Amino acid sequence: MTSRRTIRILPVAALAAASALVLAGCTPAGDSPEASGDPVTGGTLVYASGDGEPSCLDPHVGGNYPQALIAGQFLESLVSLDASGEVIPWLATGWTSSDDGLTWDFTLRDDVEFTDGTPFDAEAVKVNVEHLKNPDTQSSTGYLALGKVDSVEVVSDTVARFHLSAPDSALLESLTQPWNAIESPAGIARGMEENCLAPIGTGPFIVDEWVPQDHVSLVRNDDFTTGPADRAHDGAAYLDGIEWRFIPDSASRYAALQAGEVDIIDNAQPDTLDQAEQSGELVEIDAPRPGASNRIELNSGQAPFDDVRVREAFIRAADVNDGIDALFFGTAERSSSVLSSVEPLAYSDDSLFVTDLGEANALLDEAGWSERDDRGIRVKDGVPLTVRFPVSTNQSIPAEQSLFEQIQATAKEAGFDVQLEPLDLSGWYGALFTNEYEAVSAPYTKVGPDVLRILYHSDSITPAPSGYFANLAQLNDPELDALLTDAASESDPDARAALYEQAQQIILGGFYALPLYDQQNHFLHSPKLQGVRAMPTVSTPTFADAWLAD
Amino acid sequence: MLWAVATLTFFAVHLVPGDPAQAILGGPGSQASQEALDRVRADYGLDQPLAVQYLSMLVRLVSGDLGDSYALKTPVADLIAGQLLGTLTLALLALVVAWAFAIGLALWSTSAGRIGRAIAAGIELTAAALPHFWLATVLIAVFSTSLGWLPPVANGSPSGLVLPVLTLAVPLAGFLAQLMREQMLEALEQPFTTSALARGETAAGIRLRHALRHAALPAVNLSGWAIGYLISGAVVVETIFARPGLGRTLLRATELRDVPVVIGVVLVVALVYVTMTVLTDLVSRAVDPRISLEERA
Repeated sequence: MTSRRTIRILPVAALAAASALVLAGCTPAGDSPEASGDPVTGGTLVYASGDGEPSCLDPHVGGNYPQALIAGQFLESLVSLDASGEVIPWLATGWTSSDDGLTWDFTLRDDVEFTDGTPFDAEAVKVNVEHLKNPDTQSSTGYLALGKVDSVEVVSDTVARFHLSAPDSALLESLTQPWNAIESPAGIARGMEENCLAPIGTGPFIVDEWVPQDHVSLVRNDDFTTGPADRAHDGAAYLDGIEWRFIPDSASRYAALQAGEVDIIDNAQPDTLDQAEQSGELVEIDAPRPGASNRIELNSGQAPFDDVRVREAFIRAADVNDGIDALFFGTAERSSSVLSSVEPLAYSDDSLFVTDLGEANALLDEAGWSERDDRGIRVKDGVPLTVRFPVSTNQSIPAEQSLFEQIQATAKEAGFDVQLEPLDLSGWYGALFTNEYEAVSAPYTKVGPDVLRILYHSDSITPAPSGYFANLAQLNDPELDALLTDAASESDPDARAALYEQAQQIILGGFYALPLYDQQNHFLHSPKLQGVRAMPTVSTPTFADAWLAD
Repeated sequence: MLWAVATLTFFAVHLVPGDPAQAILGGPGSQASQEALDRVRADYGLDQPLAVQYLSMLVRLVSGDLGDSYALKTPVADLIAGQLLGTLTLALLALVVAWAFAIGLALWSTSAGRIGRAIAAGIELTAAALPHFWLATVLIAVFSTSLGWLPPVANGSPSGLVLPVLTLAVPLAGFLAQLMREQMLEALEQPFTTSALARGETAAGIRLRHALRHAALPAVNLSGWAIGYLISGAVVVETIFARPGLGRTLLRATELRDVPVVIGVVLVVALVYVTMTVLTDLVSRAVDPRISLEERA
């Protein structure tokens, strides 16, 4: 059946390839195979988000992915990344750093206004950095990204000078993120409540209205002239506007796309992607998020995972590959890196993650877990080999939760008692604060390898019960700390890459984490929607160059 | 009663482990700094002992202030006012449709023979047992994806209301019809039926004018309960059909441990329930004059 279908499609594919060769000279290369025909002006795009509705549209406040998704439509950053991961101009046209890496001068575009008429200048940059660093803003993601920035000095209208407390090799990558985007100072001055409802930026669209739990209306910014340097066309967007809807249920979201009620959906689940592929009527964008891969962190701060042999035994026992094949319908690829595959400095080592039950059993015997109780669970000094695994039902999609169940079943063969506990977000945080876990999976999106410092530097182990700590593996290794600190201030790209490789070798080789796959981020859209692409920064879609074909 | 509801809700929310401060600061994908967390705890009084938090909540509620949402930072009263209409529209329409189905089914089944009654009983039982999420998924698959007649998600037009209303109405209609059929059959065996027949009343007339009235009474009394049932069903239905409303507000607020919103919504639902109970009481008096007569005597 499958092979017959493939054969029938082949001539079409060959024809498409041939015409692509002919057209390559005159059309921009797009991800979408349907990107053909002239752009059409007008029409309102309907976007359906399965992510939680933000409680504030200003991504400076808090700073999560749902905010990044929508903020990218009306806010812009100082710099961006191109498809190869190089930093490119956006609102800043150029930048230089001093030899000691402690001062950075950003040259700004001099012809840009925010949509409220406020000029974009060095003063605006200064106000935004101060807004992010002000505790009243309650920024977390953007705040962390500017950790080494002490202040911004207005050298002239078009030159903003960043003063740093220590060299920061991640500064440019951090500034590409939507959580550090630039807003109108006059907009910020309105106060948090008003700014949360409709932040003011320089982007292709403007927030018109927000009807809670229903939609946000965005209208075209007719005076839009900016965009990152790799933008496909100049000037205002083709679309009249975007109706940004919130449809939490995955099946309804897909049904709405099929019915033509919406033009594009995010958070497309593996089963939906499989159906869509079989129907052949929709276009998929597969844009893994940057930063960390999805991985199971093993809590090395307490027994039993304080013993490297027990960690390795767990990783050898857990059969991840068969689970991914069965549950993700080929939409996710197994990872053996703690970094996302879109990170140029990601290092992986397949050999460390080969499933081997015999090896797992041998390691556990060696580590003193040689007895088993009547359930087949290993016991040492009367204590069973228990792995408490709190699962956030907000952050783990159903397929991932099923994968954890398969891991639970295969780890049991080696004598692990994996106790999966599905929790809502607040309950999940609660389990982490009180250190009541041996294994946990937590996504982390950030541009660049500096995410390793956040996840694995011993500074990120804050004693409970004070709050969240990102180092959930509770990895505490002075050698690793030194590598990560050096890498974060190393300005030479090759030396930086070498440091991050050594750091990743320590993390992987110590069996602190079991990588699963990239942080999944699939979009499905109608073939009518053209010219859409995912930003190479945090993989959010941009509609600045998109149009709805007739 | 409202005080009891607020107290129960307050302690129920706090019994479940979780940290609202973390949720206030963005949730998934954002890791809040220690300074930010401490600040939020102080701002919202989350660092105070539970008893102090409880008392300050009571003082606030007594003065008629529902407080501000932790997550949205806006007054809870405004938030609920914006969502109440959507849920009430849905619940009341579902109630009306459920009544229509139930009356139709009861009238038909009491006139049908033994087989007809067995079929009706089967339909009622099945309908009453249908879970909302399952029914919603099937309705979307049939009427949106396959037939393309109705939109799968709410879109502001009346057509978008059809599937959510049906999802809520069908199981309720099952309950109501079951109750009414039994009551009607009982009524039809009463002596007044025989005397009405003797007066020359037709069988259909008896069912409509006498038995239905007799059977409607317990069903009307059930409608107060039904509103509570429909609003709890709205949590599922509003999520699946992406409709704004109190159900979704409650779900989201619970996930975020947004205590003021949870308590606010629960209080409003309790108030609606009380109002409906009073209303059904009044309606029962209209349907059955004996109630007020007995009380006067």
